[in-house]
Parts: sequence; structure tokens; C-alpha cells
Amino acid sequence: MTFNRYRRGLFIAAFLAAPVALYLVYVISPYIQAFYISMTDWRGVTASPAFIGFDNFVRLFNDGNFWKAVQHNGALLLLLPLITIVIALFFAFLLNVGGAKGNEGIAGSKFYRVVFFFPQVLAVAVVAVLFQQVFRPDGSGMLNAPLMSLGLQPIGFLSDSDVAFWSVLGVMVWQAVGFYVVLFSAGLASIPRDMFEAAQIDGAGRVSLFFRITLPLLWDTVQVAWVYLGILALDVFAIVWVMTDQHGGPDWSTTVMAAEIYRNAFGYFRFGYASALGVVMFFFTVGFAFLSLRLSRRERIEY
Amino acid sequence: MTSMTSWTVANSRKLARRERRRRLGPLGMLSHLALAVWTVLVVVPILWTFLASVKSEDEIFGDAWSLPAALRWDNFQRAWDDFHIGQYMLNSVLVVSFSTFGTMLLGSMAAYVLARYPFRGNRAFYLLFVSGLAFPVYLALTPLFFVVQNMGNVPLIGPFIGLNTHAGIVLVYIAYSMPFTVFFLSAFFRTLPTAVAEAAMVDGASHTRVFFQIMLPMARPGLVSITIFNVLGQWNQYQLPLVLLQDREMWVLPQGIADISAAAGYDQDWSAMFAALTLAILPMLIVYTVFQRQIQSGLTTGALK
Amino acid sequence: MPHTPHLSRRELLRGAALVPVAGALAACATPQAPPAASGSAAPAATSAANPFGVAGDKPLEVWIFDGGFGQDYAKNIHQPLYKSKYPGAEIKHNATKEITKVLQPRFAGGNPPDVIDNSGANFMDFGALSQDGQLQDLTALLDAPSWDDPNVKVRDTIDQSVIDIGTYDGKFSVLGYVNYIFGIWYSQKAFRENGWEPPKTWDEFLKLCETIKKSGKMAPFTYAGKHPQYLYEPLVTLAAKIGGNEVMVNIDNLEDGAWTSEPMKTAATAWAEIGAKYLMQGTAGLDHVQTQTAQNKYQVAMLPSGSWLENEQKTTTPDDFEYGMFTLPDLTGSDKLPYGTIHTSPGENFIVPSKSANPQGGMEYLRAMLSKKAAGDFSELVRTVTVVKGAGEGRQLSPGVSSATAAVTTAGENVVYYMWERWYAQLKDECKAATGELMNGGLTPEKYLERMQKKADEIKNDSSIKKFTRS
Repeated sequence: MTFNRYRRGLFIAAFLAAPVALYLVYVISPYIQAFYISMTDWRGVTASPAFIGFDNFVRLFNDGNFWKAVQHNGALLLLLPLITIVIALFFAFLLNVGGAKGNEGIAGSKFYRVVFFFPQVLAVAVVAVLFQQVFRPDGSGMLNAPLMSLGLQPIGFLSDSDVAFWSVLGVMVWQAVGFYVVLFSAGLASIPRDMFEAAQIDGAGRVSLFFRITLPLLWDTVQVAWVYLGILALDVFAIVWVMTDQHGGPDWSTTVMAAEIYRNAFGYFRFGYASALGVVMFFFTVGFAFLSLRLSRRERIEY
Repeated sequence: MTSMTSWTVANSRKLARRERRRRLGPLGMLSHLALAVWTVLVVVPILWTFLASVKSEDEIFGDAWSLPAALRWDNFQRAWDDFHIGQYMLNSVLVVSFSTFGTMLLGSMAAYVLARYPFRGNRAFYLLFVSGLAFPVYLALTPLFFVVQNMGNVPLIGPFIGLNTHAGIVLVYIAYSMPFTVFFLSAFFRTLPTAVAEAAMVDGASHTRVFFQIMLPMARPGLVSITIFNVLGQWNQYQLPLVLLQDREMWVLPQGIADISAAAGYDQDWSAMFAALTLAILPMLIVYTVFQRQIQSGLTTGALK
Repeated sequence: MPHTPHLSRRELLRGAALVPVAGALAACATPQAPPAASGSAAPAATSAANPFGVAGDKPLEVWIFDGGFGQDYAKNIHQPLYKSKYPGAEIKHNATKEITKVLQPRFAGGNPPDVIDNSGANFMDFGALSQDGQLQDLTALLDAPSWDDPNVKVRDTIDQSVIDIGTYDGKFSVLGYVNYIFGIWYSQKAFRENGWEPPKTWDEFLKLCETIKKSGKMAPFTYAGKHPQYLYEPLVTLAAKIGGNEVMVNIDNLEDGAWTSEPMKTAATAWAEIGAKYLMQGTAGLDHVQTQTAQNKYQVAMLPSGSWLENEQKTTTPDDFEYGMFTLPDLTGSDKLPYGTIHTSPGENFIVPSKSANPQGGMEYLRAMLSKKAAGDFSELVRTVTVVKGAGEGRQLSPGVSSATAAVTTAGENVVYYMWERWYAQLKDECKAATGELMNGGLTPEKYLERMQKKADEIKNDSSIKKFTRS
């Protein structure tokens, strides 16, 4: 017995050693140090940065660009999950139970599912470059060419500060929907067919099928999707940095927290200040995670 | 339950197909319309990029919807030679292969132990890993840069895992993939039945053998699913390589594409940029289309746990 | 699953002990000032021929901004010259469009390269580099004998403004190699054929825009809307022309109300009118190359740019295009500075990082660059003017360069420059953002200047940002 216990302990240690070591070195230690750096005036090189307490945090309260970034992240946090989930649920419903009989997938549902997922397999930076071209402001832009041939004014998708944010959101939705269609489809597939059949016998139409059965039974999956998309909205960087003019412009209209952190660290060499922004972002993210855990603690529907 | 469902699905599909042919109501038409619209939204920008990749520079600056007068395959030549797109792709494949493998190996080991072996501190380790889910990577960037740099000074192995090395970034990818992998897989291991493992232990199998020969195969659906997550996530990485890989020869695809897009403005070579973009997109779509069954069933199994 | 009792405390400790060992060595990020490689190898003895004591066999790492001038000049002109003197030195040549992205981490890591052309849209913040002690003091270079003539100091072979502008904290640290000359660029051919004249007054300029617009042949004006620094340049220059050099000096020195001064208001209002009436469609979303290419295709008549333009556009410019440049017109009859006033600025800013492995080699490389031969070959290859006095003499000059050179001659003493965009990167970014909005009509001139003033004040009051002054 003692030998077995010894073996067991050795096994646990051996299996945990490498992952925990890597994790401590590359993830935990940088995070801890970032908290320290956020209280210094470090500009990237000096060997001994001066400790300045909470000066950076006081400073960031007056940093208009950072608060703009926070607002944009906030708007994305609301809109990205909402729009993506609505569209994805709609399509998943059509593909799985929206068929002619009412409880079956529509014809060609497999084809659609494959195609919808395309954007998800492309790297975000690739998508960003692609849409930079799609959004060109003149007749050479994929979207503006037809507008102009109809005699309309071209839209400055990325150059009009009133429009650019929506372009960013649009691209993010474009990329995300496919994944969630597949996710929700998977959820739907695990709902027993006879539930739909029973409802149909009761005379439920497609719309009431959706609200009475699909949505409640998918609620868990929807919550998972909400959390994923929320984190995506808080973490967004590559789309903004690569696609938009002036990395978050025009006129700061698309900047996000991650872009401001990167700009301050690697553009202005203000590593201390950038770390302070990072700490604030950290608390926003933790806050979101905490909130979504709290809200999702509701009764599961058993079937 | 999974097998039951798939049996039902397969069976009812056959029935449904017959049914469908008989009637397609107006609502069905509308559904098709909606799906067709999204299909167009997804496919057209990609096809448009492919089309632009064989246009001349003048045609690209002209009407966006015009067809090319001649197919300029030499754009691809320049994308390959001048823009090094092949090198970036190779680097990406190399890095992601190793990092995903490492992530899966180490992640499943940690997840298994944390899920199935109660010991004092178990919960602390679990929370340590999972807390990483809430950390924005941007907070860690600067110190991480120095950590990797200092790694370069470790005797013997240093030169291979410091800044500007593929092994170095592989380790970083593995570490940053741990939170989700451990979170996900430990949940998965908890749901697996224990009888088989117990029987094997009684027969004298070691813990390690039970893990590799019994538990891992049983966990296959979960592993497939999280592997797909990790491949996609690591393939996507832009921020970490941006900071950790400076030499062009080491760059990965997202970095390369972003740089090509910036360079195209100066070089006035948008046609080669489109060709490079096409080369970045096409293989991914082909790989995905070939393996889409596995990818989708992987997600299907995993996502609901 | 049978839950065997918990591990004993001792066993747990044994297991845990394995964990930190692996990472302890490296997990600490706080910068441990890496050993300055330059100090480790004793420099070779100095002499008149080798004033910095370059070790002839030490490798030299050079990074070139691969922009309007390309990178061939470094590979084919400068590096062979260095190599001819130090055949044993291996030169590691690199080029990038994104200097900051690629090289900033090298600085942060304490192993920067030996020579950097810190230029382009995303150059590294000179102010921050200087504040961090990253820039090699190049005074020794100024006092060294020139490459061509041991009796002439390097200091005397280049324009004085280069030294003024490249001085940070009393130390000459940034060598501008090219003399950028700013103005409004047009096709001499197009103007000739349409009977248009470069305007001398702002009224003439507006009239010309109106004529071109009505002609329907092309749009009157454009600028690189994606990079609005192309427009704040003529805006601030116009303000200096109206209110005198002190307008720029005050802005550079972050004086109170420098941005909201009357000349700035007049200049901003004047340019906002151009923005509202005469811009080419889609300007806001186009970058410099797209707008310049549009000009090459005779889709737009005029755009503000600098003397690198001709070389940058050489592949798309029609043979008979004939670039020309005119300086900013008189806005009022009472402008403080006369017609012909010009904004020049040393560009292609070369630095030698002080913490590089071979700063002596870096300085020697710069000394080679400043030789008459290197500068002359460079001028001819990339069609531009260097800061080396007389290096362009007897060389074949292109129409654009001739036009710009003539403008400099006309200007005489009336040359202005500004530093704020180099000293304060945040101010530059804000000005880019706000200028774009001004030209789109999203900001009134008053709001525009208020915003700029607010940002300038913020920087002034931020003790973490190092301040610079000039006179």
C-alpha cells in the first residue's frame, strides 16, 4: 500500500512537472512581473526602472484614447455576441430542424455548414488584409464598385470615422458566425428528435418550435458561445491593428484596449504605462469572466 | 447516447430526403434564400481575392468587378520569390505542428492528473491553470519578451529556445494554450467511466500505462476536438510572433501576410499581394474541406461537454 | 475509482520541488542590463585613417528602411565602400518597411544592430530612444576627418541644420542623410498642356482648383488620406509662413496656446476649405502610393509630398510626366515669411545604437556614407538630394529634383522645420487623427486646434515624457 501510494505520488508529480513548469515560466511569471512594471516608469531599456507607485493609473484616467478603446471594447462586448448568436442560431435552426418537415435539416445543409465555416479556418491577420481590399474606398473596392456603378457615393468603410467601427464589427461577425453555426448544430443534434415530433403533433409551427424547444434546450450552448464571443470582443487586436487606418483609426474610431497597450509599449516605449493599461484590461476581463459565471449559474434543463 | 443519436440521425435523414423532394413550402424557399445570401457573403470576398490574384496592377486599381484580360500567373511567382510566402507557410506549419502536439501531450497529462487524482493542492493547480483563461495576453507581452530572451542564456539549450527561435515560440504557444486545454480536457476526463481503468489497475498496469493505453483512447473525441481548437488558435496567432520573432526567415504566416500588405503599398505590387493572400487562403480551405467531417464531428462531440 | 489517501506532506514537497527548478533560471523578466558587447572587446587603436578605432574583422549589422529609396543604395553603394576599407568585416544587411515592429524588441533586449535607418511611417520614437540612452553620441563623427580629405572635418561637409536637428539633449545623435524638400507636386506636362500655372497666392490656388474641377479632366487635389501627416505638413508650414518661424518653434517647445495661435487658425481654415471643396473622391481612404499613382494616371492634379516622391513613383510615372514642385502660395499680402519659403528636413535618419555590438563600425559606416562618392552615387541612384554639400554637382538630375533644388535656391534663408513629430510620438498620432477629420469636415478648424492644444498640454504636463526644446 505504501509502495502504491509512493508510485501514485511519483506519477502525479511526473505528469504535472512539465506542464506546470512551462506554465509558471511563460505565463504566470510574466503576469506577476507585469503588475510590478505597471508601477514603474520603465521605457523599455533602462536597467533599473524607477518605482512610481500608482502614477500610471492616475495618468490613464485622463487618457482619452484609452477610454475610447474601452468604449469600443464595451460596444463589441454587447454587439458581437448578440449579432453573431442571433445569426448563428437562425442558420443552425434552418440547417437542422428548419427543413420542410419541420424537424429535419434543410436540403444541402451539409454544404452550407462547410461553407459557413470557411472564415474560421483563416488566420485573423489574413482576414484583416482581405477586407482591407474588399473595403477599398473607390471603384477598385469590391463593395464600393457596385455602389458607384449604381450612381451612389462610395462608402468610406475604413476611412469614415463614423463607419469604420461597424466595418470592424462586421468582419468579426463574418468570421465568427460559421463556428457558432456548427456549435449550435452540434447542440441541436443532441436534442432527441422525438421532442420535435411531439411538439409538431401538438401543432407547433417552425417559429414556435424554435422558441419553445430549440432555444431552451440550447441555452447552455448559447451561454458557452456568449462567453467565447465576449472574450473575443475583449481581446480583439489583429483585426484592428492590421485592417484599420493608423492602427485603430481613423481618428481613434476603432481603437481597442489591446491596440492601445501595444501602441504605448512598442510605439511610444512606455512599458510601465502600457502595463498599467494591461492591468486595467485584466480587471475588465476578470470582471467579465466572473459576471458570466455568476449569470450562467441557472438551472440546467434536463432531458 | 452519442451512438444512439447518430443512428437516429442517419436513419431519419433518409426519410427526410424523400420527404423533402415532395414539398418545399414558401418558408423553405425563404430559408434557402437566407442561407444563400450568407453563402454569397462568405464566398464572394474570397473568390474576389482569388480573381484579383491573376489580375494586372492596372486592373486591380480599375473596376473591382472587371475580369482580367489575361491570367497573370507570374503574380504567384513574385509572391513566392519576393514576398517569401512559401517560407512563412512552412514556418507556420512547423511551429503549429510541434506546438499543438506538445500542447496536447502536456495538456492531457495535466488535465488527467487533475481530473482523476485527488491530492492536496489539486484544486490550487487546477485554478492556477484555469485562471489563465481570464488573463489578457497583452498584459504579459513585455515581461514575456524578456523571459524568452533570458531563456536564450540557459546553458546548452539556450540558443534553441531564446528569442527568434521556433522552438522558443513553440514553448510559449504550449504554455499559453494550457488554460483552455486543461480546463476542457479535465472536464472531459471526469465524464469518462472509471471501470476499465480500475480493472487495468487491478491487473497491475502502471498509472502511466493506464493513461496512455486506456484513458487517452477513450478520450479520443475530446482530444480531437481540443486539438482542432488549438490548431486554429495557434495558426491564428499574430501578437506573440510579432513580439518574439524578428527575423524574416523565422516569421509565421499571419506576420508575413500583414507585412506583405504593408510592403505592397511601397512596392506597388498589389497583384503579388493578392497572389500571396490566395496562397495563404487556398491551402487552408482545401485542408478544411478534406477534413471537414472530422473537424465538425470533433467540435460536435467536444463543444457540448 | 478508488481514492487512495492524500499524498504525505513530504511526498508532495518532493513533487513540487521538481517544478520550479526548470524555470527558475529564466523566469525573471526584469531587465538585467545585458553585458554591453561593445565594452567586452577592446577597440582597436585610433588613427587619422581609422578615427574611431574600428576592429576590421568585426561584423557589422545594418538595417535599412526599405521605403521610397529602396535598399539597393545600401547594398550597392555604402556597404561596398565600407567593405573596401575593411575587407575582413562581414556586413549583415537587413531591410524592413516596419522599423519599429522589427527593431524595437531588439532595443528592449539590449542587442540592437549597429546601424539603423530609422525612417518610414513607423519609425522608432527618437525622443524615447534618447531618453533611454540608446543613441550613440555622434559628436566624434562630426569631429573626425572626412572620408575624402583628412584636413576637412565631417562637420564641415554637411548642412548645419542637420546637426541642429539631429541633436538630442546636447548630443548629436541622429544623422539625417537626405534633404527632404516639401512642397506641392504636379505634372509639368499636364499643367503645360492645360494652360495651368503654379499659383503664387492662395486666391490663385483656389482659382486653379476651381478651374481644374470645372475642366472635368481630373480632380484638383488629394493627399494620402490614410496617412494625414502628408497634410499636416503643408498646414503647419503655411502657418509658419503666415506667422513666422516662431509658430513652429512654439509648437515644438509645447508653448501654451501654440496650436491655437491666429496663424494656425488661418492655415487650418484655408486647408479645411480645400478639404471641403477640392479633394479627389475617396481621398480619405487612400494611402500615399494610391494617391500618387492616381496622379501619375492624370486623375488628380496636385498633392503635397516631399522630394523622395519622384523616386518612389519611378515605376508608375509616364516618361513624359515631368514632376514639378511649387512652394506654398502667399495666403495674405502680409505673410511674415515671403513667397518661396520652404520646409526642409533631413530625412532617412541614421542612428548608431549605443548598446550595439560594434558602435565604432557603425560610426565608420556613417562616415563612409558622407563621402562625396557615396552621396553622389546615392543622389543619382535614388533621384534625390543628400545633406552632403556639393555632392550633387556634375550629376544628372531628374526634373523633380531639379525643380526642388531650384526651390531651395529661391528660398535662400527662408527655410523652416519642425521637430514635434519626432520628439513626441503621441502628438504626432493625435495630429494624424485630427487632421484627417479636419479634411473630412468632421472637425471645425477651431475644434481641430483645440484638440491639438489639449494633447500638447497633456504631454507638457506628463512628467514621464521627456521634453525637448529648440530655438
